Amino acid sequence: MSKIYVHNLTKRYGSATALDNVSLEIESGEFLVLLGPSGCGKTTLLRCLAGLETPDDGEIVMGDKVVFSSEQNIMVPPGKRNLGMVFQSYALWPHMSVRDNVKFGLDVLKTPKSVAEERLDEVLSDVGLGDLDQRYPSELSGGQQQRVALARLLATQPPIFLMDEPLSNLDARLRMDMRVELKRFQSTAQATTVYVTHDQTEAMTMSTRVVVMKDGSIQQVSPPDQLYRQPENTFVADFVGMPRINLVKLSAETSHGSVFTNGDIRVDVGWEPECSEIIVGARPEDITISNEASAGREDYEIKTVLPNGPETIVQLTRGETTFLTRVGHEAVLAKGQTVWVQFNSSALNIYAAETGALISPETVKLSEAS
Amino acid sequence: MSDISQATQGGTSRLHRLITDPVNIAMLLLLFVLSYLVIWPFVQLLIETLTWGQRDRRISREAVPGEFTWFHWLQATTGPLSGKMLYGPLVNTLKTGIAATIIALLAGGVLAWCVVRSDMPGKRWLQPILTLPYIVPSFAIALAWETVFRSPKVGGQPGVYEALLDVAPPEWLSYGAFPISVTLAIHYFPFAYLLVAGALATIDSQMEEGALISGAGRLMTLRRITFPVVAPAFLAAFILTFGKTIGQFALPFLLGAPTQFHTVATMVYANLTLGLDSLAFVLAIVLIALSLLSIWLSNRFVGKKSRRFETIGGKGFRSRVIALGGWRWPVFAAVAFFAFMVGILPLILLGVQSVMLIDGFYGLENITSHFWLGKSDPEIAFGEPGVLHNQIILGATWNTLKLAFISAVIASVIGLVIAYITVRRAHNPLAHALDQIAFIPFLFPTIAFGAMYLTLFAEPVGPIPALYGTFTLLVLISVVSRLPYSVKTGVTAITQIGQELEEAAELAGASWIMRFRRIIMPLASSGFLSGMMVSFVGVMRELSLIILLITPSTRVLMTVGFGYAEEGLAQLSNALVLIVAVLTIIGELILMWIGKGKMARLREKQS
Repeated sequence: MSKIYVHNLTKRYGSATALDNVSLEIESGEFLVLLGPSGCGKTTLLRCLAGLETPDDGEIVMGDKVVFSSEQNIMVPPGKRNLGMVFQSYALWPHMSVRDNVKFGLDVLKTPKSVAEERLDEVLSDVGLGDLDQRYPSELSGGQQQRVALARLLATQPPIFLMDEPLSNLDARLRMDMRVELKRFQSTAQATTVYVTHDQTEAMTMSTRVVVMKDGSIQQVSPPDQLYRQPENTFVADFVGMPRINLVKLSAETSHGSVFTNGDIRVDVGWEPECSEIIVGARPEDITISNEASAGREDYEIKTVLPNGPETIVQLTRGETTFLTRVGHEAVLAKGQTVWVQFNSSALNIYAAETGALISPETVKLSEAS
Repeated sequence: MSDISQATQGGTSRLHRLITDPVNIAMLLLLFVLSYLVIWPFVQLLIETLTWGQRDRRISREAVPGEFTWFHWLQATTGPLSGKMLYGPLVNTLKTGIAATIIALLAGGVLAWCVVRSDMPGKRWLQPILTLPYIVPSFAIALAWETVFRSPKVGGQPGVYEALLDVAPPEWLSYGAFPISVTLAIHYFPFAYLLVAGALATIDSQMEEGALISGAGRLMTLRRITFPVVAPAFLAAFILTFGKTIGQFALPFLLGAPTQFHTVATMVYANLTLGLDSLAFVLAIVLIALSLLSIWLSNRFVGKKSRRFETIGGKGFRSRVIALGGWRWPVFAAVAFFAFMVGILPLILLGVQSVMLIDGFYGLENITSHFWLGKSDPEIAFGEPGVLHNQIILGATWNTLKLAFISAVIASVIGLVIAYITVRRAHNPLAHALDQIAFIPFLFPTIAFGAMYLTLFAEPVGPIPALYGTFTLLVLISVVSRLPYSVKTGVTAITQIGQELEEAAELAGASWIMRFRRIIMPLASSGFLSGMMVSFVGVMRELSLIILLITPSTRVLMTVGFGYAEEGLAQLSNALVLIVAVLTIIGELILMWIGKGKMARLREKQS
């Protein structure tokens, strides 16, 4: 059992706050991804878990062991936390052969030689390096180096894996392959995994849950599909999704009602939010366009057409307002053409303009009920 | 969940962690020890000049040993002897220093241009020869000069000059400002050469081509583009070279003392041999002040300005060499001749001189191997046996190697540890202080540093016995004087080792000692080894640092050689200096070999 609890963790560097009162519960065997723009604190959080940084406040519990507590003055050193880590640079020791790199952790644990050798053979062949074990890191390709780092992590069979952007130094194709492999090793080992990345595709494809961070605090913790469909605030909405979500600020047309406008466009959100100023979040795929006018549709001009393989990204304008939409590659569209637009109102996310927080019919109903 | 026993088993309290962290322990220990070995000696030197000493009772009736007084400073600056003691030597120091620096910079600058920017042939093997004069002890060049221009007027046998021309050389050519300036220039021009060559190598030909395309002529390009770009480095080279010349002791002493020509550095020595310790210390402080001033100047002015030009280089950088055309071979001949004259001829002269039975007579019948192989003969050299039978020399050789080896190892290890602390604890003010203290010995001219250690450990301090006259004291001062260099090599080595390499080992549970031994040491080893070799060679050719601290039982080759030179036993001193020169050259060759060696593979990967 290696559940990880993080309670009110704070880490400051001088006057800058890298982690601001962060709390998080990580389930045993979970693949949790920390996602966010650079400087959001995701790597700091990972390094605090590893014990490479000492937080200023808070508590970290791994399994049933308190590894850090500012109150109880506990700081278990990294080597005693029983976890493995893959670094962004892989951090392979260039003066040791592949085999010695992987063996180091077993040496520290004083594993008997015969057991260690057996384990080494097993791990090296698992990651596909069986015949390269006498090479030095500098004689390996980037992908092979990545595998050595992975083998080094797996060798001691720690119940917790920490990974700091492990795939960011690989080329796009290799990255795809390694995603699958990493996931495979993780699920075989049943290890609780915390994985840092700024690549949302990585986050979406590998995780069981994603933690989005910004300025040292957690913005949302959700399974990936929910993160995409229901971002809890405008930051998450804007950060997740490629091409990015359309966020438009609108005001209520009448004091009560479901229709909102900004002068250029009118949108019927389908229910009655409490506030009069809202931001509508519409994913590009939630906007459909048509060549023919029909009731309730507004006309837009096509500003740019960006073909992108299986799909085409289209930029639309109406007055000062612009939208991105996604259509199939078979659509024949030209710059300057006029099209009629419909929003899939059930897929729209509505945010209070003042706070940027998600509001939904359910929250309205809940507040009415209470 | 919160289990108190965890605190004592797995975790540790913050304070406990700070105190038991081996890096913190090493840092505090080194801070304490180095403060005592670097700062305290200087303070003591200063106090010494400001208090009455026991011996001062002979000089002044007011003297109360231990009491404060301005006497020594007044004696040096306004006393009847001040002209001879301070101002004369000061003028001589500046005169010879500036003259030597100008010559060194001109020669070094021209040679650097030829090697870096022109298509002169034979660069590969000319370059090592051109650096020879800086590699061999400065004292060797002075001895070679004396061999040629010795004047019987000051005693002894005639030199090569007189033997060939049958006319005694004029005294200005034999002793005093002229020979000192020239020999200093010969010793230091490679230093200036390396600095200027470094600056020239940073010029991107595209800058010059840009100017040419804008319509500027070659001269205008040189004047408006090339020169301004290297000017800061040139100025820095000037000040740094000057700062080095003023601390020179052996060379001006050999070529100046016979005619009572003194620089501040030789005056420190002369005063100490006369027993005027406090006065010598005043001069040592003056020397330190001069050195500080020159380094401060080079950092303040020039450092900042040249840093502004550091954007030069980077992408698309290329350096085009300038075709000399028909001048290619004449330029080569001139440079080769120069290299021979300053790099090889002095060593040949020393060798030849060491096999002459009676110095000054150059004939085949005068050749002898006595000074190398001969046993003691009362007829020759006051009965001093040849090098291979001379117990003093053999002892000194053993001492030299022992001193150089022990000091190099200790200095390199401590340097690496200090470098580690400085790099990995960059935000800790104590680590910064440690770095600064380790650099301070660089600012002290070596003869002044040696003077400081005269009083250090003269009496037992706590558990440490009195060290004056012991081999330990020589190791101590050699180690401390090498620290600025070994820390610098260490920092380069450690910076190349990514922090993650160490963190990965930390996560695996390796203790600090294990990480240092299994990760840091092997990865820093190539830099560490070459740093150690540099220190080994540096300590071996050192004279002025330890000349004041040597006793008969701790003699090293350089001091024995210096002693023979003082006594006028030219053959033996030449033989000894030649041995040191050959040893240092071997050391440098090993260094070149290490630099290109197999460890290069590792270094490539880390960058």
